[in-house]
Amino acid sequence: MAYLEMIDIVKRYPGVLANDHVDLAVERGEIHAVMGENGAGKSTLMSILYGLQSPDEGYIRFKGSTLLLQSPLDAIAHGIGMVHQAFKLFESLSVWENVVYRREPRRGIFVDGARARAQVAELARRHGLPIDPEARVSTLPVGVRQRLEILKALYRDAQVLILDEPTAVLTPAEVATLFKVMRSLAAAGCTLLLVTHKLNEVMAVSDRITVLRNGRVAERLVTADTHVDAIVRAMTGHHVTLRLPKQPREPGAVQLEAKDLRVEQHGRRVVDDVSLSVRGGEIVGIAGVAGNGQSELIEALMGLTPVVQGSVLVAGRDVTHASVAAHRARGLSYIAEDRARTATAASASATDNLAMGFHRTAPLARKGLLQPQAMRAWASSLIERFDIKIASPETAVGTLSGGNLQKIVTARELAHNAPVLIAEQPTRGVDVGAIAFIHGELLAERERGRGILLVSAELSELLALADRILVMYQGRIVAEFARADADEATLGLYMAGGARA
Amino acid sequence: MISTFFNAAFFDQAVLGITPILLAAMAGTLSERVGLFNIALEGEMLVGAFAAVAGSHFGGSLQTAVLAAIAAGALFSGLLAVGSALLRGNDIVIGISLNLLAAGLTSFLLRTLFGVSGTFSDSAMAGLPRLTVPGVASLPLLGLALGHQNALVYVSWALVVVIAVFLNRTPWGLRLRGIGEQPAAAIALGAGATQYRFIVTLTGGALCGLAGLQLSLGSLTLFSENMTAGRGWIAVAAVMLGRARPLYVAAACVLFGLSDALGLRLQGVGLPNQITDSAPYVVTLAALVIAGLKQRRRTAGVI
Amino acid sequence: MKIAADVRRHLTRHLGPLLPIVGAVAVGFGVCGLIALWVGLSPRLMFQQLMIGAIEGPQLFETVARAVPLVGMTLAAAIPLRAGIVNLGADGQLALGGCAAAIVALYLPAPDLVRLGVALTAGMAVGSAYAALAAAGEIYAGVPLLLSTWLLTYPAKGLCGYLVRSPLRDPSTAWPSTARIAVGSRLGSLLPGTPVNQGFLLIALLAVAVIFIDRRSSVGFELRLRGLNQRFARYGGVALNRQTLGVMLASGAIAGLVGAIMVLGSQFRYTDGALTAPQYSWSGTLAALLAGGEPLGSVIAAVLFAALQTGGFAMERSVEIPRVLTMVLQSIVILFLAMRGAIWKRS
Repeated sequence: MAYLEMIDIVKRYPGVLANDHVDLAVERGEIHAVMGENGAGKSTLMSILYGLQSPDEGYIRFKGSTLLLQSPLDAIAHGIGMVHQAFKLFESLSVWENVVYRREPRRGIFVDGARARAQVAELARRHGLPIDPEARVSTLPVGVRQRLEILKALYRDAQVLILDEPTAVLTPAEVATLFKVMRSLAAAGCTLLLVTHKLNEVMAVSDRITVLRNGRVAERLVTADTHVDAIVRAMTGHHVTLRLPKQPREPGAVQLEAKDLRVEQHGRRVVDDVSLSVRGGEIVGIAGVAGNGQSELIEALMGLTPVVQGSVLVAGRDVTHASVAAHRARGLSYIAEDRARTATAASASATDNLAMGFHRTAPLARKGLLQPQAMRAWASSLIERFDIKIASPETAVGTLSGGNLQKIVTARELAHNAPVLIAEQPTRGVDVGAIAFIHGELLAERERGRGILLVSAELSELLALADRILVMYQGRIVAEFARADADEATLGLYMAGGARA
Repeated sequence: MISTFFNAAFFDQAVLGITPILLAAMAGTLSERVGLFNIALEGEMLVGAFAAVAGSHFGGSLQTAVLAAIAAGALFSGLLAVGSALLRGNDIVIGISLNLLAAGLTSFLLRTLFGVSGTFSDSAMAGLPRLTVPGVASLPLLGLALGHQNALVYVSWALVVVIAVFLNRTPWGLRLRGIGEQPAAAIALGAGATQYRFIVTLTGGALCGLAGLQLSLGSLTLFSENMTAGRGWIAVAAVMLGRARPLYVAAACVLFGLSDALGLRLQGVGLPNQITDSAPYVVTLAALVIAGLKQRRRTAGVI
Repeated sequence: MKIAADVRRHLTRHLGPLLPIVGAVAVGFGVCGLIALWVGLSPRLMFQQLMIGAIEGPQLFETVARAVPLVGMTLAAAIPLRAGIVNLGADGQLALGGCAAAIVALYLPAPDLVRLGVALTAGMAVGSAYAALAAAGEIYAGVPLLLSTWLLTYPAKGLCGYLVRSPLRDPSTAWPSTARIAVGSRLGSLLPGTPVNQGFLLIALLAVAVIFIDRRSSVGFELRLRGLNQRFARYGGVALNRQTLGVMLASGAIAGLVGAIMVLGSQFRYTDGALTAPQYSWSGTLAALLAGGEPLGSVIAAVLFAALQTGGFAMERSVEIPRVLTMVLQSIVILFLAMRGAIWKRS
């Protein structure tokens, strides 16, 4: 009998069978990878293990006894901890306050701050997770915040630690540190479950692998005895081509240009004298770990953030201090990173969402008056062309899946036929089918002569699509590569700040 | 000239003016720290003021007045607690409708229970007696203001310190702050967000009830319709200016209390009372504008 | 049979949202009935008078007359609300508008009709300028409109109160008020023998205009989408600050116009506190909240509230139940809806 078992787990959602009689068996001190594409069922399975959801059928057995988990608190009480992809930290509080929250050492009716700090420092030292207990979380970089999340779980005596896509926000160097920590935790008896879709990382650090596909267990593999191709075949059901066919192209005129762009926040230069250009018919990628100024750069290019110094030119015209509307009018369109909060209005219909930005001009409006017929026709045609699965154009978009919502945003922004498209994380959290579709659309637009600026945390996406790749680190462009000269290792080095150009 | 203008009575008036705002602002501070936007302070105070008078008149003693004020404030805020903390309805809409409900309800009950409209006063009602703090009471200029006040005034000052210590030094204060800042994280670690929000709202209601008590029984003993006259909103502004930090909020309340007293003083020297009555509101606005402009300059570059 | 299916679809789409409102009204009546019982009054009589009193005989015209300022103040509240902005300063803008209109109507050396026109315009201009002050506070200093508009009502009412007591005071009256406005400068009666004046036409036109702009224009589109998701609107190119200023100017102008109509059409002088006493701005805000800022729904709610208030007067006259109970009723309805999350559910 294994140390930790999930037996015959079934979980249904309306319209989809997320987990279809899944079995999972993990030994003590093992690093076990749970793999699969987006939508394969691994997140659901882990959320059941952590008590966030209850299975419709099946049960969990840990150290010989059956667990009935009604909430994450039950899971924590039984020694199961989870480090989420999106951190759950209190920004304005200190590290120690975050760690001991709700299990504060006390002195009378007061919190014993001294003892708390000491305990946190000791825990950090013991597990090789250097951290300053006094530091305010808002000042910490992403890699350190993750350490804090791990400390939180360890403080609560976690014997099983679930890591959900932990490397999504780390530089390659930070990933290596994380793996070292994982190995030492495993050696000390902690059992780790690594939820991921990244092949090379699984090969580097895991002992065994369970691959899910379409809600079922596709394969169980022992890492030492297998290789990448076998995992890919298990995840996708066939050999996958990692690269879409792309013709080399001679780029056209410069459509978007940034010169010595500087953006400041709280006295810091978050965008530090950045210059770049995007020509028609080329895809320029920006690689970099989240938080190095990419978002602020894009916002400055779009007019959403004030620029302290430097200029932004669209089709040769200076739009640096102009309104967002002016930026768009001059030729920018923008697929925003946060599709739910920024790029769409959840309670508005698809028609309304698709009309935004077109609502002042023909054919959707004449002399300031909307043309409802034209709006409906517009929405219908976009929905059809992009194969968006929605009940009717009048349905609110808040009900759509991630992939379909992303298609709404993509459809709208592409419909502008603007010379330049800025795409920020265009396939994050989107199912495989939609990813392929969106990639196909981006390449098609490139063929049509559009200039595309692509910001992505997925190096594989950049390597597949971009003609040139820039690397951003701490607000500066630290490197530029032509596609042929770029590879993950080199990009990773620059993303982490090593070796300046 | 200055000394006759800013005399002992001036400071006494200021302290009397500060107290209800301070109590309400403490209620608002706790709400803000737990993540709720409470603009029903005005209505809760009004309900408390009415209940205090009713309690004093029908119950016959100061104790019944105090109990009535606290109970009424807490019960009334129960509506906010259920609507906002429990059912997660829109804070602002609930707050506005509660304020109007309080005004309508107290006016209605004034007519049906006391048989008058406008103002009810009864000199036989027990007001809050003034205490004397030996030593402090004999200070020049500030002696009356600081040393010769009713118990509720001193309670309000102590409350500022208690709340500050509670928030920053106790486990429950830490949990409350976490819930307000990042509810998802707090709930994930087992903090009962709904319970905290509920308790904070009800406590706030009780505090506002006491604020109302100070208004109706603190100096003169009477209730008049809409006697809160926007003090609850000034308390909201104080919480905003003080960024929900108890000591800063208290400082903001002092500012408003002083401007209120200043307005009365200017009235005394002949300025028309319609203009001087606006003093605290204008001062509040000016303070908000100044603070806002400073904030803008500090975070230049962030939209 | 497609027609039947279409009709059914339309009914559920448009009437569906009304169900929680009907429920809330029921709860409101229930609670008020309980309150009436508690203080020893008869709920049955209360309801009877409330409902009949609104439309019985001459009361019907009273309802219509009351609906004019109420619908006006509702529109003043609904326009910003559509964009997610709360204007709590309508009382101040109302008072200033009415006061300005009175001053012009009394002292402008011009022919009658011109004086009337300028008075109405002055009311709108002053109201909108005052509202723009609050907008400036939000745009340049980040002071929330919710607070600034509320705080500004006090200086506004104070100023009008002072003006009407000193420079403009008509010593022959008991209350502080201006002189009586000459017949020629007034808004004439629309239906002789009733309190309905020509202001009715102005407000009716305004309501149609607002509803049309909201539903059919690009400006209305931007307003509505901003109310649904401000970040999205900004990202899509909507100029937020300009929009904020625009809605506040419109809102203040309408509030000022209502003040002018009240002064020129029914009261014929500016009396301190007389414009704000009926609390039209509060009822207007509640009506707008009831409909979530949607203009047509807001107007319908406003008319219903006007009926309710007329009924309240009748109720007080006949069975001596204080009419302020109608305010309690209105508040409970909104409160109940808000608690159920039917209004702007919190994210």
